Amino acid sequence: LGDPQNLKCVTHNLQKMLCTWDISSRGRHGQSDFCYTTNDLTPQVCFKTKERRVEIPVPESSITVTIKSSGTSFATKEFVIHQKDVSFVPDTPHILSLLPDFPTSTLNLKWSDNGSVFPYGLDALWQIQILRKEAMEIVTQVTYYSKLTQEDVIISWNWTSDMPLECTSHYVKIRCYVNATQFVGPKDWSDWSPAEVIPGKDTEPGGSGVFPLDPVVAVGSDLTFCCVHEEDQRVTNMTYGSKSYRMMQLSSRSHAIRVLNASVSNSSGTNVVCRLENGLEGSVVFVGYAPDIPQNLSCETSNFLTIKCTWKPGRPSGLYGERRTKYSLFERTSGKNVSCEVNEGSKDHVCGFPVLPDQKTYDFILGVSNPIGQAQSSLSVDITQRVHPKTPEKLTVTGNNCTSIQLRWFINGSFAEIRLLCQIEISSSQSERKLHNVSVPGRKSSTYTAQLNALHPDTKYQFRVRCAAADHFWRWSDWSRGVEQTTAEA
Amino acid sequence: MAAADSPSAALRRDLCSRGIRLAGKMRADVVDLLDAYVEQQGLDASASVAAVEGVPLAAVERWDEQTGTQRLLQNLAAYRAFRALLAQMLEEQREQLGEADAGLGRALAALLLQVSAFAYHLEELLRLESRGIPGEEEGDEEEEDGPPPPPRLSLFEQKLRGLGVLRELAQWAVRSVRDLRQLAKPSPATGAA
Repeated sequence: LGDPQNLKCVTHNLQKMLCTWDISSRGRHGQSDFCYTTNDLTPQVCFKTKERRVEIPVPESSITVTIKSSGTSFATKEFVIHQKDVSFVPDTPHILSLLPDFPTSTLNLKWSDNGSVFPYGLDALWQIQILRKEAMEIVTQVTYYSKLTQEDVIISWNWTSDMPLECTSHYVKIRCYVNATQFVGPKDWSDWSPAEVIPGKDTEPGGSGVFPLDPVVAVGSDLTFCCVHEEDQRVTNMTYGSKSYRMMQLSSRSHAIRVLNASVSNSSGTNVVCRLENGLEGSVVFVGYAPDIPQNLSCETSNFLTIKCTWKPGRPSGLYGERRTKYSLFERTSGKNVSCEVNEGSKDHVCGFPVLPDQKTYDFILGVSNPIGQAQSSLSVDITQRVHPKTPEKLTVTGNNCTSIQLRWFINGSFAEIRLLCQIEISSSQSERKLHNVSVPGRKSSTYTAQLNALHPDTKYQFRVRCAAADHFWRWSDWSRGVEQTTAEA
Repeated sequence: MAAADSPSAALRRDLCSRGIRLAGKMRADVVDLLDAYVEQQGLDASASVAAVEGVPLAAVERWDEQTGTQRLLQNLAAYRAFRALLAQMLEEQREQLGEADAGLGRALAALLLQVSAFAYHLEELLRLESRGIPGEEEGDEEEEDGPPPPPRLSLFEQKLRGLGVLRELAQWAVRSVRDLRQLAKPSPATGAA
């Protein structure tokens, strides 16, 4: 009687182990003398304890323990503990923070890996359990791998829920397993950490409503909507658009529906309506497309004051108003950024960028974004090689005799840096249409003249003119309005 | 008070009959707009909409005991409120839809004009009754701390409010016709305080 028995040792950090033992009933309240020695060379270490649990080093191979209990009768028992008899169970992990990001329904979990307690680097496995609803049903269990590096490292991990976090409370708990291959004793998972909770709106007084509220999602998404209501209210049905869906109960104050492969919504969005006995709750979901990469990006100038870029937008996003696709033009060299006024439905997609002093080459990035995604296109262009003059105006005849005519016209824009090539179309009933080219030095918002010779006397001619850049032809301007003149008689 | 056939009585009858035509046209337009609004906003035409804050109710107790001035003053207050509500709807429409479905935006803008015109018409009638025209609701710029802006509604609540506004405006147009017919009747009691 009074013998120490059932000696068990557990280590949490591979360095120290906690040994516990029993003493039969009569000897239980006395004090014990506890001695241990790891091998014959090291002196025995002894101490007294009333606790029947002591913390001693983990043996490399084995350790001899002598326990003398001094209750009503003295009893001494010797034990030899081998490493293989010692269990290794890591400490219960501690969650540092659990933060919700409601717009993205994402939980951010942070915990410390407690690596500093271990004597050397080790591989660790973490199991993260996500639970939901009043009944704390397991939604998922994820295994996460990390390396313990003898330092306490804070691990950050994100999880995106398939339903809005507002719908019902979400709980998270973690446990860990350390793969200590050099340790020969039995190894086990730690205990689960206490569960951390992100309360749902169904736990808040007055938290009712449909969630997510007014989201913008991509076509093809699978969506979960929930209706949070007061305890005493009954949900009669929940509709998405005009269709009623089977409801799932999340808690006594929350019901949800699941919509698969959502199709594009109309311009005012798709209503998600929760009909209660005495009222309506609702949300409006906008289902659209991320912007396509803009195609055929092209930039030119008509006056060396503004550069006009055009592009093909690709598939319409289906989003309007404040959710529409927005465009901006960024120029890398100058760092200047311009936001473009483009309406979702409009045919032409055009954006103006100012011509900058002393800059010929422009390195453009056209950025496109809407709440679902973004894209971009780039173009590098020397604007002196992208001149598309405006239509010549005020074409007039300024001089005239029997075989020649002088013409004058005006072009808006400052072309002082380039030469212009202008083409005059000469038509008359007696001869075929002829084209006469003339190259003139460009000027700033100026008039230009040309003389046409070798005409026939007493003949009615029609003239019109168009211009382009002479050195690096890009595009003709439109033709000017025509002017008519009859040459003098011979 | 003006004798039955005096010029101002004739003018009042004329203003009343023009007002009745205006209200009738407004009602027809509101009903058309309601159908388009319900469809465009994806709402259920039979949806019951709780009383919307700030929307004047057309239903009134002891309608037949009201004086002419009371009728005009209540009508004017209502259409001023509708003018502000429709302007807000138009603003929200542009914000939410931009260029999409410009038809609804144009119809809303046209209705806003009609409501403004009808409010002006009511002011004319009140002037005729040699009644002062009540100032617009306080809360214009000079009022430092005017009523706090209403909480921002969710998009679904905005849609329901729009439905509530249009439904109530349709009811008001009917009431205005009845009020103006009552005013047009040559009776000594008309216009008494």
